[in-house]
Amino acid sequence: MTAVSALDSIHKKGLFGDHHKKNENDLLKIREVKNLNIFHIVKYKSSKINAINIRIDDLELPLQTSKILSNKDTRILWNAPNTWIVISKKEDIIKKIEEKLNDKDFAITDISHSRAVIQIKGLQTIEVLKKGCPINFNKFEKNNCAGTVFHGINIVIDCATDDLDTFNLITLRSFGESLYHHITDASLEFGYEGV
Amino acid sequence: MLEIKCPYCGKRSQNEFSYGGDASVKRPELGKEISDKDWDDFVYLRKNLRGKHSELWHHVAGCRQWFKVLRSTATHEIFKTTKVNE
Repeated sequence: MTAVSALDSIHKKGLFGDHHKKNENDLLKIREVKNLNIFHIVKYKSSKINAINIRIDDLELPLQTSKILSNKDTRILWNAPNTWIVISKKEDIIKKIEEKLNDKDFAITDISHSRAVIQIKGLQTIEVLKKGCPINFNKFEKNNCAGTVFHGINIVIDCATDDLDTFNLITLRSFGESLYHHITDASLEFGYEGV
Repeated sequence: MLEIKCPYCGKRSQNEFSYGGDASVKRPELGKEISDKDWDDFVYLRKNLRGKHSELWHHVAGCRQWFKVLRSTATHEIFKTTKVNE
């Protein structure tokens, strides 16, 4: 069986919007991030375990609001109190999670195929996001995440770079197409490259 | 547009929240016999105050936690937000 990504027939490659006479390197880059292993982890209210001592793929579970801890392959996002999202390129990440988290204390759900992930990169990224998202980006830093909305669509924003020019937007798979069109429409005035 | 301070995530726009009703209403104790009138009052009767009002809000697009907001229904000023168990 072949996995079909959420935006497989939606995402178009090429140059769009006001890209004429602009350097291609200065254009926004929009792409679908595929083949990620995404797991939702919730610590049960009844659990007495202290999450501070747990490490998955050499990363602690972040306990601070909006914090992300990451290495080359894996990112662990604080999603809510006692709730985390693990995003990894490693196929065997589930084994590492199950080694460290027992099913009496944690609920682990594979949500890899129920999410669409759009990456937007470029100098005007924040300007695009500001069009539909009420977050205060002045206080946003590298390795911060936030659950918020973009034109009414629930999304998780994941910022991966120091200069705030690369964001991963994670949404429910069924909203992926709608979010993609909102993002690409908002990017037209700057010109963007679908990659 | 209100700016509401979620006790877990910090200040966020009202767009991310959903109103959850009067926080001062207490559900009748489980298993206890109550009259139809008491049940009817619990389900339907609200005070519709003008002034300081304790409300439940849900951070539906963020951390998905419920919390309490002390807000003026006349001016929309928010005095305090707390976790539900505080």
